[in-house]
Amino acid sequence: MKANAIVQNGIVKTLCRMCDTRCGTKVYLRDGVMVDIRPNEDNPVNKGHMCTRGPAAMDLFYHPDRILKPRKRHSDGNFSEISWDQAMDEISARMLKIKKNYGARAMSTWKGEALGFFQQEEYARRFIHAFGSPNYFSNDSACFASRYIGYKLVNGFYNSFPELESADLIVLMATNPPVCHPPFVSEMADAVQKGAKLVVVDTRFNPIACKADIFARPRTGTDGALLWGLARHLIETDNYDHELVEKYSVGFNRFAEYARQFTPERVTRETGMDEKTVVQIGELIARHRPRVIFYPGAGLEHQENGVNTIRVMTALMCLCGALDIPGGLVLNEGLDRRHLTLYDEIPLLDQNPIGADGFPVLYDLRKECHTMTAMDYILGHGEYPLRGIVMTGANPAVSNPNLAKVIKALSSLDLLVVNDFFMTRTAQLADYVLPAATFLERSELHCYSKYQHVALSRKIFDIPGVHDDYTLWKTLADRLGFGEKYFPWKDEDAVNQWLLEPTGITLEQLKKHPGGLRYKPQRYRKYLTEHLPTPTGKIEFTSNYLKEKGLPEIPEYVRPRYLGLQEQYPLVLQSGARKPLFYHSRNQNIPRFRTEFPCAQVEIHPDTAGTLGIKNGDRVKISSKIGSVEVEALVVGSNDILPEVLELYHGWEHGRVNWVTFDRHCDPISGFPPHKATPVRIEKA
Amino acid sequence: MKIVFVEQDRCFGCRHCERVCAYQHSGNFKPEDANIKVSVDSEKMTLSNMTCFQCETAYCMEVCPTEAISIDPDTGAKLVDPKRCIGCRMCVMACPFGNMYFDTQRHIAHKCDLCGGEPRCVEFCMAGALHYADINELAEIKRRHADRKLRIYAIAEQEGPGK
Repeated sequence: MKANAIVQNGIVKTLCRMCDTRCGTKVYLRDGVMVDIRPNEDNPVNKGHMCTRGPAAMDLFYHPDRILKPRKRHSDGNFSEISWDQAMDEISARMLKIKKNYGARAMSTWKGEALGFFQQEEYARRFIHAFGSPNYFSNDSACFASRYIGYKLVNGFYNSFPELESADLIVLMATNPPVCHPPFVSEMADAVQKGAKLVVVDTRFNPIACKADIFARPRTGTDGALLWGLARHLIETDNYDHELVEKYSVGFNRFAEYARQFTPERVTRETGMDEKTVVQIGELIARHRPRVIFYPGAGLEHQENGVNTIRVMTALMCLCGALDIPGGLVLNEGLDRRHLTLYDEIPLLDQNPIGADGFPVLYDLRKECHTMTAMDYILGHGEYPLRGIVMTGANPAVSNPNLAKVIKALSSLDLLVVNDFFMTRTAQLADYVLPAATFLERSELHCYSKYQHVALSRKIFDIPGVHDDYTLWKTLADRLGFGEKYFPWKDEDAVNQWLLEPTGITLEQLKKHPGGLRYKPQRYRKYLTEHLPTPTGKIEFTSNYLKEKGLPEIPEYVRPRYLGLQEQYPLVLQSGARKPLFYHSRNQNIPRFRTEFPCAQVEIHPDTAGTLGIKNGDRVKISSKIGSVEVEALVVGSNDILPEVLELYHGWEHGRVNWVTFDRHCDPISGFPPHKATPVRIEKA
Repeated sequence: MKIVFVEQDRCFGCRHCERVCAYQHSGNFKPEDANIKVSVDSEKMTLSNMTCFQCETAYCMEVCPTEAISIDPDTGAKLVDPKRCIGCRMCVMACPFGNMYFDTQRHIAHKCDLCGGEPRCVEFCMAGALHYADINELAEIKRRHADRKLRIYAIAEQEGPGK
């Protein structure tokens, strides 16, 4: 692979994009070759430390399997390399044909997590609206967005984020920050050393639970009942912030009325936890408020009742008085940059964005079309046909639920283009595969709203024939006739400059400060002088907005579905607990990463395994109503997982959990599939 | 001399120290290749993190029959020379703390070498639990936290129970 470095010898400071945390890094170059990656002390996120995924960017960048030239699939299923121009000509011609035959909305774009951030997402959104279709898809209709929808519905801010380092009580809800978000661990450690209490709520044991004052283990999907019980405790014992509730909120009385049913006995019945623990957590909160933080993970949102659980959690922090105070849930302000999206100029709402009818909140608040519904449209069960997708850095043939359906759908498209580094499972189904640029080959603007900080990643290499995302969209737009109007910038530098213009921060400044710049000082308790950006301008314990959309105004608790199916499917399969080194379905092709995790293993409780005659290392078959998957059994310790729970990592290419997961029974607010609550059976294979 | 020490209450068991140590010494991520060990017991709910203390009287070094263990003149680290090591395992038996390990592939002993004075585990500790410093700095850190905790305790005492 020929890679031209911008500096032959020396150190270039940039940002890591091996996961979504985007730590500051220093890339060491010798004779134009990357020889080391180390942490950058100037970045406020990682403060001179980094995790082991960071240096592995060298393995990713120099990987022998990288796609360096466009590939086209022939009727016999084999791929051959073609020129970039031929690829662009043929793809644009096929897009126009789809537009002519079925209308523009039969085309779509889809971004994944592998390549970049704001621009990658906004290019895809901009491009498809300029083309005339409202159908932008991404991984965000199945992950990540839901907790922000939950926050937004209660306090109006997407970007609310707990200020961990000055909290007096931290409650981790179904999350494992040491693995998921390593930089926040140092902030948590600061709090703990200052005397903060720690509560870990999880069905699985993670080492951080050893440091917890209370380790609580509700049944999968019943966290909502626990949170309601805690809300009840605060209200009944008159331990809540009266000023905040009386002056700055709506719906408290109905919320309190609903909470009354969640007595410790009821919570115990729902969650399987003992009564004492529920009361103990309630007392801890009462003693330590207002600086009480609930920090949620994906474990909460991959449930049918996900958003409502997050709404109760947010409401609880408001009851504590933790809203927008140091050591509380801080309402972070964004950077007033320009956006590339065209939702004002070309809204296309009359074109029925896919999923906007079924999941109106997801579309209204996030402008996300629903990928699970997309499969129905492709297979001819939608309101209109969906015939083409251009994907960048996405891998739904591993990551989306109900894989049999996903693969059937993607294989039946008239046009599937995949822009990626490797021949992923999804790329193998594509008509065209394009060589994507890694984060080391492009320059992108990154905002960290938690720190109200902005930084620029640097283009360090240029690989001839490999194009950044902007070039891809611009080239296609030029061929389709809207390049001049909607993609007029020369390159990514020009885009970044345009995005930054209204902020008063220049590209030159950011280049001079590779650790980034703070764009706004932190202000607390903004709600005293400014309306919250909710429909009522206040904290919404109940939501009229949801009621108008036919959804419950109170964040009601709904018992998870799997609990009613235990006769036929006695176990519940969770997928999605993060692994170090891997990033969703990424990085499995880095051989040294596999030395720690050689193959897909399902975690199983020793009692459950014993009853079924399953031994550690046995091949086992996990079956749900819609499919099955075979993997190796990992019989864990008896305190590692609840006896009725199985856990299988979501990103494995071999041993794909999504053969058994459902694309139905989605959360009615976020549309998220219940990845952590699949009713299953397990047996020796 | 400077050693690698752990603020145990900051360690949450992410194991990046083990990973980067293994990577530094073998190019892979197998925890058994690491010279720092995070011990987690999910039954007893205990978590601890340990590496070589670079003892002033180093039993591992004293017991070695081939003088394969020597002192790095720059850092003071006790180093294993893999060429001289005969794989007798005496050092593993002699170490009172379990900080000498035996590589079952190469059949030699291995231990923390302080990475020549730039220990990577410290750089890769996202929690800031690992330090490379004089041990008296750990005492100072502890005194700082003790002082803070004492003050909190004093305030709680003043305010009375139930506060």
